[in-house]
Amino acid sequence: MRISRLYIAGSAIVSAIIVLLIFVTLIVNSSAAVAANGFHLFTYEWNPAKDQFGVLPMIFGSGAVTIIALCLAVPIGLMAAIFTSEILNPMWRAPVKSVLEILAGIPSIIYGLIGIAFFSVWVGDLFDLQSGRTILTAGLLLAIMILPTIITLCDDALHNVPQKYRETAAGLALYKYEIVKDVLLPIAKADINGAVLLALGRALGETMAVMLVIGSIDRVPEPFYNALSAGQTITSKLGREVAESAFGSVHFSALIFMSLLLVAITVSLTSLTQFYFKQEQRLVE
Amino acid sequence: MQDHSSTMRYSTVMSRLTLAIFVLVSAACSQADTVNINVSGSSTVLPVVSRAAEQYAQEMPEVRVVVNAGGSGVGVKQLGSGQTDIGMISRDITDGEYEQYADVGLKTYAIGVDAVVPVVSSEIYAAGVTSLTFPQIASIYRGEVTNWSAIGGPDLEILVIDKEASRGTRQVFMSKIMGNKNATAPGAKLVLGSNNEEQTALAQSDAAIGMLSHAWLNDDVKGLSIIIADGAPIEPTLANIKNGQFPITRNLLLVSRSDLSAPAQDFIDYILSPEGQKIVEESGYIRVSE
Repeated sequence: MRISRLYIAGSAIVSAIIVLLIFVTLIVNSSAAVAANGFHLFTYEWNPAKDQFGVLPMIFGSGAVTIIALCLAVPIGLMAAIFTSEILNPMWRAPVKSVLEILAGIPSIIYGLIGIAFFSVWVGDLFDLQSGRTILTAGLLLAIMILPTIITLCDDALHNVPQKYRETAAGLALYKYEIVKDVLLPIAKADINGAVLLALGRALGETMAVMLVIGSIDRVPEPFYNALSAGQTITSKLGREVAESAFGSVHFSALIFMSLLLVAITVSLTSLTQFYFKQEQRLVE
Repeated sequence: MQDHSSTMRYSTVMSRLTLAIFVLVSAACSQADTVNINVSGSSTVLPVVSRAAEQYAQEMPEVRVVVNAGGSGVGVKQLGSGQTDIGMISRDITDGEYEQYADVGLKTYAIGVDAVVPVVSSEIYAAGVTSLTFPQIASIYRGEVTNWSAIGGPDLEILVIDKEASRGTRQVFMSKIMGNKNATAPGAKLVLGSNNEEQTALAQSDAAIGMLSHAWLNDDVKGLSIIIADGAPIEPTLANIKNGQFPITRNLLLVSRSDLSAPAQDFIDYILSPEGQKIVEESGYIRVSE
């Protein structure tokens, strides 16, 4: 018993130390860029040859593809989860879920190759563009990548609502639509939000697939809502440049600064959501 | 409940399977007595080295050559920091790089000659744009010319494709066209990496211009002839590259450190041998020795 308790406590401490170390490493390594550039880091020009390291285009790109992906994937994913949990014959639920979970595990490079071979061509043809390597293509590809995660987790969230709620609601002569909308969704809300958050984390952090289809140009589109032009995300920038930048240079440090921003965004979103949902009493435990 | 237990069983099976595969793979990798030579860098030099590695493996089965792309800049950097045995670069080593890695003693071996060719989508080539001057290409990359009709082509917007700043191909191209190897290209609409990636984008578009190594030209991506002063257009043919007429040429280099291992030195010598030079030629480049 003692040993297993030690083991569990030890694992927890090791995980905590790793997270802490990541933060410390990122902060230490990004200090050179902050010292050399200060607030010039938040400008639009990125040109290492001239010591310009403006990160705004990359932050914009990361935000844009993530928002597009969530706007597409969350409604579809939630509808699909309602279907698999509440409407689909229970006999079929397990196989459908296994397939979804396999889909969620496909390596991102595969999505990237499909994206570059088909998606970017389709988007180019559909909108009559010069090039299908756009922010929209990346968002679309990400939406497909995070969809299985959203469906399977939302399905779990709904399925975990005890049967008695459904029975009581049905006893009150509510329609199935009303049961889902007014009973199940409010109860499962916290878990559904967790699913969306996890999907958001994957979308923000995805590198390979995005890098192949986004066009990799360090520019905010003109006008900014024009998702049909090429862009750059923090991750695609890192993927393309981190290998070539000399360790210890300001260039390298500026790239690390961007990853620090990415981690900071993810962590603050996670804690914000957790804080927000702590306030509400969960109805199911 | 039924569902839960089946999911559980599925995940246990999967984790056992993963473990089994992991054990098998690590057992296969730890085979004794093989010598590994790591080569990385330019995607232009890569086809030569990977073909050579294949043939070399038949002669020397105990040597395993592992070839990775990444670009010239990455090749020098990994060599300098000891992450690879041999670097591949498709431009000259800069003074800055010599200085930065002075302690490891960089040494270069020219294994072939290549041309960097301005390329266009086959549709543009078929529509009559088969040659351009340096100033015309420069104005496209600066964003001053944005439509093919301005330079004798169809009425289509130009899709200007740039390359990552560390790529040897870009540095050679920009130093000739713009006079500065780090020149920015405000007219660019895409920035891509390897020759393969650039080739795909050019083939997928019907109005693109880009830059490629000579060996990557094919029916979908056509190399432009270059007009210098008022002379006749110089086609990007092997003959013109060989006799030095084509204006954007470069040496393909392998780079080593002073502590180069004997097997790695043998591999470099193999590429410089007549057999290796034949591979250089088969890859679409010019050999450096007969």
